[in-house]
Amino acid sequence: MEFEVNGTRRTVDVDGDPAAVEVLRDRLGLTGTKLVCAAGVCGACTIQVDGEPRVSCLTPAARLAGRSVTTAEGLSGHPVARAFAAEDALQCGYCTPGFVVEAAAFVERWRAEHGTTPPGRREIAEALAGHLCRCGAYEGIFRAVAAACAGDHDRAPTGRQAATPRTEAPEKTDGSARYTTDLHPDGLLEGVIIRSPHAHAHVRSIEAGDVPLALLLPPDGVVRYVGQPVAAVAAPDRAAARAAAARVVVDYEVLPAALDVHRARAGEGPLVYEDKAARKRAPGSGETTQLVPARWRGNLRGPSGMSKRPAAAVRRIRQALAQNPERVVEGVFTTAAQTHTPLEPHACLAHWAEGTLHIQVSTQSVKRVAELAAERFDVPVERVVARAVHVGGGFGCKMGLTSDVVAAVELARLHGAPVRVVLDRDEELTDGGYRPGTRIRLAMAADASGDLSALAMDADSDGGVSVGGSVAALARFMYGKAPRRLRDFDTVTHRPPGAPFRGPGGPTLCWALEQAVDEMAHRLGQDPIDLRRRWDGNPKRHALYDWAATLPAWTGRRAGTGRYRRGVGVAAANWLYFLDPVTEVELTVEDGVVVARCAVQDMGTGSRTVLRRAVAAALGLPETRVRADIGHSDTVHGPTSGGSRTTPSLVPAAADAAARLREALGGPGVAARLDAAHGLRVTGRRPRDRRGYVTPFTLGGIAVGRGFTGSVQVAEVEVDTRLGRIRPLRVWSGIAAGRIHEDRLARSQCEGAVVQGIGYALYEERRVDPATGRVLTENLEDYRIPGIGDTPEITVHFHQEGFEHVPGGGVGLGEIATLPTAACLANAVHDATGWRPYDLPIRPDRLLEGLGT
Amino acid sequence: MTPEPDRTDPTDLTGLADAVRARGGELRAGGTDTGARQRSGVSAGPFTDIHGAAGLHGTAALPDGGLRIGALTTLAELAADPQVRAGWPALAASAGTAATPQIRAAGTLGGNLLQRNRCWYFRNPHVSCLQKGGAGCPAREGDHHFGVVGGAGRCIIPHPSTLAMALLTYDARVEIHDEEPRSVADLYGDGDLLHRADHLLPPYRILTAVRLPAPLPGERAACHRATSRAHAEWPLVEATARLAFDGATVTHAAVAAGGVARVPLRLPEVEAALIGREGTPEALAAAAATVVARCRPLPQTGYKTTLFRDTVLEVLEQAAGATAAAQEH
Repeated sequence: MEFEVNGTRRTVDVDGDPAAVEVLRDRLGLTGTKLVCAAGVCGACTIQVDGEPRVSCLTPAARLAGRSVTTAEGLSGHPVARAFAAEDALQCGYCTPGFVVEAAAFVERWRAEHGTTPPGRREIAEALAGHLCRCGAYEGIFRAVAAACAGDHDRAPTGRQAATPRTEAPEKTDGSARYTTDLHPDGLLEGVIIRSPHAHAHVRSIEAGDVPLALLLPPDGVVRYVGQPVAAVAAPDRAAARAAAARVVVDYEVLPAALDVHRARAGEGPLVYEDKAARKRAPGSGETTQLVPARWRGNLRGPSGMSKRPAAAVRRIRQALAQNPERVVEGVFTTAAQTHTPLEPHACLAHWAEGTLHIQVSTQSVKRVAELAAERFDVPVERVVARAVHVGGGFGCKMGLTSDVVAAVELARLHGAPVRVVLDRDEELTDGGYRPGTRIRLAMAADASGDLSALAMDADSDGGVSVGGSVAALARFMYGKAPRRLRDFDTVTHRPPGAPFRGPGGPTLCWALEQAVDEMAHRLGQDPIDLRRRWDGNPKRHALYDWAATLPAWTGRRAGTGRYRRGVGVAAANWLYFLDPVTEVELTVEDGVVVARCAVQDMGTGSRTVLRRAVAAALGLPETRVRADIGHSDTVHGPTSGGSRTTPSLVPAAADAAARLREALGGPGVAARLDAAHGLRVTGRRPRDRRGYVTPFTLGGIAVGRGFTGSVQVAEVEVDTRLGRIRPLRVWSGIAAGRIHEDRLARSQCEGAVVQGIGYALYEERRVDPATGRVLTENLEDYRIPGIGDTPEITVHFHQEGFEHVPGGGVGLGEIATLPTAACLANAVHDATGWRPYDLPIRPDRLLEGLGT
Repeated sequence: MTPEPDRTDPTDLTGLADAVRARGGELRAGGTDTGARQRSGVSAGPFTDIHGAAGLHGTAALPDGGLRIGALTTLAELAADPQVRAGWPALAASAGTAATPQIRAAGTLGGNLLQRNRCWYFRNPHVSCLQKGGAGCPAREGDHHFGVVGGAGRCIIPHPSTLAMALLTYDARVEIHDEEPRSVADLYGDGDLLHRADHLLPPYRILTAVRLPAPLPGERAACHRATSRAHAEWPLVEATARLAFDGATVTHAAVAAGGVARVPLRLPEVEAALIGREGTPEALAAAAATVVARCRPLPQTGYKTTLFRDTVLEVLEQAAGATAAAQEH
């Protein structure tokens, strides 16, 4: 078959009826076209066929015969690609080429009809309705498309203006950025994972004939969920690997499974973990896994908690219930499990060369994954090199030695060849991790003067085989010193494990706590912001309350009694300040350019840009004289991108390194001295915070710093009381995380955090077949993440004081920014309708049932 | 292993039908539904491409004022076609709001009518169900949140075709190669019996065109999808209404709904409650409420009873012009 791609004639065979995306990616190497959902839902694989956007995953390659195809690579230098880079319409960048290809066609159509009058949000949202961005960079996408239509990017910028807000944006918009999934060295084998079809079984034996088999079973040979990795095989292509996998015979002794969370709550059901040894291997769903010990009763683990005078709390609530029940708020809140589903799936390419293990891996932690691999595969840590140059999102689920890595490494050793394991979307949505669902019982009492008197909270985390849910514990740090009983339980079942997800436990806590505070404000006849201001001693959040209280939406009129009702809600949140105190930054002068190295990675948060700019600013150099070389483990220690710790670890170390380089260069006028300093190298360390840290020692590259970050959000929603749809109209996000180092990127993080919070509040719901434990929402049609049309207008406000004890004055904000959104929307829905949503997501059916229509 | 499809598929209808008879598998039009099932492993193919067949594209006015639309006309073309927009606006609107712009650009009218259902058990290659030749329906005892709200059939997933629902209100007929034309409703028959397929045509039968009768003078139409997200979501319930008036009195009503039953449903009880009456808000509400009597919700689809009623009310009001302002959000 002959066709034209980006202006060049190509001939390919289409035997086997491949989809267009396979031909473009695998045979022509045009890896800017990403394969994500394989179902025409997400648009990441969009190409233009004779100028018309098409999802190439559902386009038979044979249909391209005689046609002219344009991919993202063919739009390099196109005004729309430039607009996406210049307006920072991306984070991880994995969806970006698809958006650019679609938007380019839209902009051309729009300009032909409307000239340079830019379209509104509605027109843009309709045109891009077939695309999903998991980072939620939709505000930037709106800006970029409108600007491209207006002609703002028709001419290539020059000089200083050529710098994009995000260092790697040009490569991410034209598809030349190579992610792990895009790498295809010579002799590559594709690995596939054989997964358990049973929720609970003992593997008696595995027959693979002469097929080399990488075993992925736990030491006891027991599989504990549908989709658990059993073994992996590799072959020259995926079809052959799948065929090889199909020939492997696994003999399962099927065992009774615990699939009912209600029974697990009572400690009942077939035991998931039979003994202490098995329990110890349970994966963690929280930030600190099993750091806090807890007892087990059958399938119930807990309580673990962070109570303060719990007996007094219970006594006060009982008393208040008896004497002043109007000052007690009680409720049972539930949350659905939220799946991370980064658009680049878990992926690893491993090969062994001269005793050294090389792993290219989509990870949030190149350093940690290299260390874990060294331990697991019994090689010295200096003989493991992990690389993650570009990472297509993570959100917490790409932090350890996941099964894709283990499988790829084992298979590479068995075959003596490079082996790549890339999860399919159904695997990602099943076994890629999720924020556990919860049931939270809450009681809160206020005293006669309207102060918080006591709080009691029991949270059951439903994380399948994983443990370590910490929801109630986080309530220790908010709303003063009143007595509180805070208990966390894990209800363990034979279902896939949860994983830490952006602010583990935080949005879940807010869902219950912030609705309860809202309810109490109504009971006490107080303004919800005023009550929070009164209860909350945190001065940074006070500044945010002052800001929120003056928003016109807050002070304006609301509600109404018609079909469409508008409401405004507020919610606040608190988060810990984490850092990696042993972070280092190495600076080397290479050919007149300062190269900054650190074993950190950029999963879309902007750490590459933050490092580069911090070094450039400290040295007084233009950005073009500094390059950030990150995403590999074989350099100085860098932080895991988790726990919002990257920026506060990296920036102070960069400043220290810059100071050392300046000194080594012999004084000011750094730019002039660079040319003569080739090879000069210094290493900077992260200086300690003034007054040190809360944790006395560093554990696994993490310390808890002093001070909390804070957030106050206000949301306006419109509720259709007839058909149950909730439209978020505007969200104001106030963030207190100290000084903001990169304003544009920080805003983008905060906007994306709101979008993910909207998904949590309204759409996202991982559903599992009750009979078999199989995940049903294993595609992006049934697992519903927010699209551009669901994005409200988002205004981000930074309060930049309060972290003066931290070198550089600022800390991380990726997590705090997503915590209050769902609760904030729930309070807005209550404001609009008078009905309080206790169960999340607030689906149309729940809303309509609640309103009694 | 599936046999390699012969990529030089015939372009004449008899040849195409013979090819499917000979090699098995399915016909493929736009490829959006077949592609998804092929990739996930639910359908082994092989797929015989019909897109090269002549005479199946585009629209042609009929002498009686009606319209003939080729089966390979895409949803995007339907939505943009000035004739369709003017005379059969509910069809244009349905085609313009289904799925996503890329899917509408590739997906065809014929493919939309003959697509497979969206049940997450059916679409999961690891799960056995009636539609795949299995013995039972795992959704019935399992998770059927998106299931039907009526009917007594063994399969409980709603029919997915938005266009079929719209065409029902137009009393459209379909042309089929080597067969007599039939009504759109007769593509699906009795939903209670439709548990091994999503339509009644054998795999080798080619739906070639849809015939629409002439529009009524002054008729007004509306369609609506009840969803949670703004775009790109299969509706919980959807409905279409066509109303014609003499003054305030309804002279003609055609109402249909999707997302509620195994097949797209025409709703004669709603129509009967409207015809001859004034289209007052009360009359519209009373007419919409008649659908409740046909609802037999499953344990998890109780919510669809009221949503069904209110989605029908929505399109009645829109068609009657009552909520035109409210839609301008």
